[in-house]
Amino acid sequence: MAKGITGEIIEGHADGRSEGKYLSVEVDFVLLHDPTFALLLPELKESGEEIWDRDKVLLTVDHFAPPSSIERANMVKEVLSFAAEKKLPHLSVYQGICHQLLVEGPWLKPGMLVLGADSHTVTGGALGCLATGMGSTDILYSLITGRAWLKPPEAVRIDLREKLPPYLMGKDVILDLLGRYGEGGFLYQAMEFYDMDEALSMDDRFAICNMAVEGGAKNGLFQPDRVTEDFLIERDGCLSHPVNRFDGERPYSRKIEVELSKIKPKVALPHSPAQVIDAEEMRGEAIDQVFIGSCTGGRLRDIELTAKLLMGRKVARGVNLLVTPASQRIYQKAIEKGYISTIIGAGGVVLNPSCGPCGGIDKGILGREEKCLSTSNRNFKGRMGDPSSKVFLSSPLTAAASALAGRIIDPREVM
Amino acid sequence: MALPEIISGRVWKLGDHVNTDLLHPPSHFTPDEKRMKEGIAEGRTRLGAGVKGDSSEEGWIIVAGENFGCGSSRETSVRGLASFGVKGVVAVYFARIFMRSLVNLGIPVFEAKEIQGCVKDGEMIRISLKEVWIEGPDSKRFPFSPLDPHLRRILEAGGLIGYLRSEKHGI
Repeated sequence: MAKGITGEIIEGHADGRSEGKYLSVEVDFVLLHDPTFALLLPELKESGEEIWDRDKVLLTVDHFAPPSSIERANMVKEVLSFAAEKKLPHLSVYQGICHQLLVEGPWLKPGMLVLGADSHTVTGGALGCLATGMGSTDILYSLITGRAWLKPPEAVRIDLREKLPPYLMGKDVILDLLGRYGEGGFLYQAMEFYDMDEALSMDDRFAICNMAVEGGAKNGLFQPDRVTEDFLIERDGCLSHPVNRFDGERPYSRKIEVELSKIKPKVALPHSPAQVIDAEEMRGEAIDQVFIGSCTGGRLRDIELTAKLLMGRKVARGVNLLVTPASQRIYQKAIEKGYISTIIGAGGVVLNPSCGPCGGIDKGILGREEKCLSTSNRNFKGRMGDPSSKVFLSSPLTAAASALAGRIIDPREVM
Repeated sequence: MALPEIISGRVWKLGDHVNTDLLHPPSHFTPDEKRMKEGIAEGRTRLGAGVKGDSSEEGWIIVAGENFGCGSSRETSVRGLASFGVKGVVAVYFARIFMRSLVNLGIPVFEAKEIQGCVKDGEMIRISLKEVWIEGPDSKRFPFSPLDPHLRRILEAGGLIGYLRSEKHGI
């Protein structure tokens, strides 16, 4: 079987037990956030069991951050009182979106096996881990046992060649793949990316892995390389262990070649992240709102390119531009570098780091038949508001350019 | 053994790529079981259910198309289905997190291809886990892919929490 790096990680974590096609594996780290943890909390308490290793758990409050209703406030209160009672060492309240906090912190390293109670946990695969999302009951099982049952997936190798031209971002790369292979195009599979020219930034890689789940994949993963090592050194101050680069040839069930310079800026049409066309084909679709943020598109590079494009310009009349940095750390850096000031100067509204508009949680909810261009990962019907509203997805560059134009355009028109 | 030999219920038909946001709109996220169920009723309205009304004395069996349950891992969509009286789910194929969550909550899953074109909303169907068939209203039978032994064991334990208990007690 073409097991790829993912299969090697699973085998390396197997404890020797198997049932059907599933292997019992040891888990290195678990990510939790307020709503999905609130769901499993009553059962965890009722079981009388303890978390297997509190040091290997990050609990974040990022969805209801801060809460916008009494019910949500009560959920957050429950979660926080449990964290205090159990003295959870890694707790992050209103500091940003869990998938960004997980990779900013010192925990994830190449070769680890990481689970999260959120489908976009796949983001962490950009660091060369096997990171995947599960439902609350699966996570409850792992929290108690420190294990999980995984079915080793078929692995697909995706070779990325050359550099991204200045008008493209990681988001365009993953939208291009989703457009070509569809919402079920990588079902149950591992998408393993090899950056042949070591030319993609970590922020672009996070955006790519983040949307692996939109193709049905179990996980997305970048083969660790120099870019990974540089990121880890900057993050941790040094490399605590030599990085396993997973060098060497291995069999794959499919191989896909992507020439980065051949891609054009992409837009996903309502209501599927896999219904993708070139931005230049949009023929000036008018929009009411532009949202730049989320665990896909709210990182420093996203904010930086947005600000550089908006510099000295004004957002079109009738368009609301909302910008949400993915974490407080990113927010602070964006302030220091002047990006936030530029965005505000152009007419943008900056919201505090949280999930916010992406899942229709709070702020920037869409009204009847409103149209939004978003840098998030999902444009399912009704996800961001009224069921008659429409969400288009693009890179932050395309989103910023479209905010200036008041309609969806190819960013090359204003670069 | 919590798993019955025969499951029967009324068909709730769904198309391809029905995601969890459609099934249970994220604005309806709640830990409250009653309101969770209301989220499914809202999803049914948005999806344009072919059968009026939300209650079925016989319970529901969903018959969906490809990639059923893609999207979010929020288990409210699956818990809502359980409260709604969904006793089993048939699909051409499932999205992986959604399938795990259905099994974890003790709802049997069946991968079958031909049945989608042969049943209508509201019709009664029966499923035999033992003999591996789904029977439509005209008594025509369709096969489904055999369940992986691991998933079967979880279902027999009534879900993943029951499975965990049996693991702990070495049953």
